[in-house]
Amino acid sequence: MARVRMTRNPLMAAAVVLAVAAAGAGAWGGVSWYDASHDDSAAYAQARDEALAAGEQAVQNMNTLDHRKLEKGLDSWEDSTTGDLHQQLVDGRTAFIKQIQEAKTVSTAQILSGAVTELDDRAGKAGVMVALRVTVTAPKGKPAVKESRMLGKLTRTSEGWKLSALGQAPVGNTAG
Amino acid sequence: MSTTRHLVNRQRRLATVAAERATSAAPARGPETPDVSRDEPVRPAAPKDTTTADEAVDDDDPAEAPEKPEPRGGRTSRLRVRLPAVLCALTVLLGAFAAWAFTSAASLRDDPSRQNTALTDIGRTSEVKGQIADAVGAVFSYNYASPAASEEAARTHLVGKAVQQHKDMLAQVRAQGQKQKLVLTTTVTDSGVELLDGDRARLLIFADQSNTRTGTSEETTYAAAMFAVDAVRRGDTWRISAMDTFTR
Repeated sequence: MARVRMTRNPLMAAAVVLAVAAAGAGAWGGVSWYDASHDDSAAYAQARDEALAAGEQAVQNMNTLDHRKLEKGLDSWEDSTTGDLHQQLVDGRTAFIKQIQEAKTVSTAQILSGAVTELDDRAGKAGVMVALRVTVTAPKGKPAVKESRMLGKLTRTSEGWKLSALGQAPVGNTAG
Repeated sequence: MSTTRHLVNRQRRLATVAAERATSAAPARGPETPDVSRDEPVRPAAPKDTTTADEAVDDDDPAEAPEKPEPRGGRTSRLRVRLPAVLCALTVLLGAFAAWAFTSAASLRDDPSRQNTALTDIGRTSEVKGQIADAVGAVFSYNYASPAASEEAARTHLVGKAVQQHKDMLAQVRAQGQKQKLVLTTTVTDSGVELLDGDRARLLIFADQSNTRTGTSEETTYAAAMFAVDAVRRGDTWRISAMDTFTR
């Protein structure tokens, strides 16, 4: 009996120590994981990045139009927007189609840089600013390249962030 | 009723133990066989008695439990074999969980969207926006009346690569400034923090520039500018370390 105790006890002690250590590590790891996955600022950061990605894509869509693929282009405009802006596009669609078919232009846009300026995660509102390079190719003449400073408002919908307002940053009267 | 029966039972069992001791001791004694023969009628009787209804009733009595050494001894020895195995399994499971939890937490924390504290760190975000907007306004403004001010601003707000970039950008203004009596004013109209990670930041800037020539006849032109700046925090102040005007 005494010999059995001597051989078994260190083993048992080691097993207990290891199990306790593993339980401690497990608890610590669990807390660490919980903290990391339930971090409010992380969720906010994710919303910011989603809003920026959606905003940049929407701004690019809104500055891209090929007269040969008008329906597809305008569908993409409407898909990128919500609210009043969306309504304006739907209402003006017919007139706009006529205008572009006459001009026969092809516009492509390149995002240079973008940033989220404001984000209200709860209300589902965000503001973005996007630096854009737009190339407009008309049937005659060289393609026109212009740089564009866009300011957009985003609203979160069931299908993600969409533009509810978009315009050029105003120039001229603020300086001096 | 139960207690008395249990007492009787106990006495019987003690008697059995005594008898067993007697039998096991008996061969050692050798010649004294009559002891065995005398005990014999008692021994078969005892196990017969313990398996009767009395025993079944006693089983339900919790007070009886400590009185049964045989099954308890079996349980402990089984526990002695099982416990290390259970502990090992527990160790492996908990260890595996810990490993998963730590790597999972680390990968969550390493996520680039978390590293970027633009907007999530409200204080830092507004600090860098405010300081960089002021810095941009200062270094891209020029007044022919005090050309040293723009150089002083450059020394205060610029660092690294931005110093040379700024020199190149303002070269023309500085060359013609005195002659044309130039007043260049830059105002940041919009700025957004693209990235904020500790002491590093990148901002997108929309600015208005007014350029007034007062040389011959007063004439003001406005220009829209957009560019990105990299900023570093030195001490308590953010400085511009590089500028990107998106040139092709």
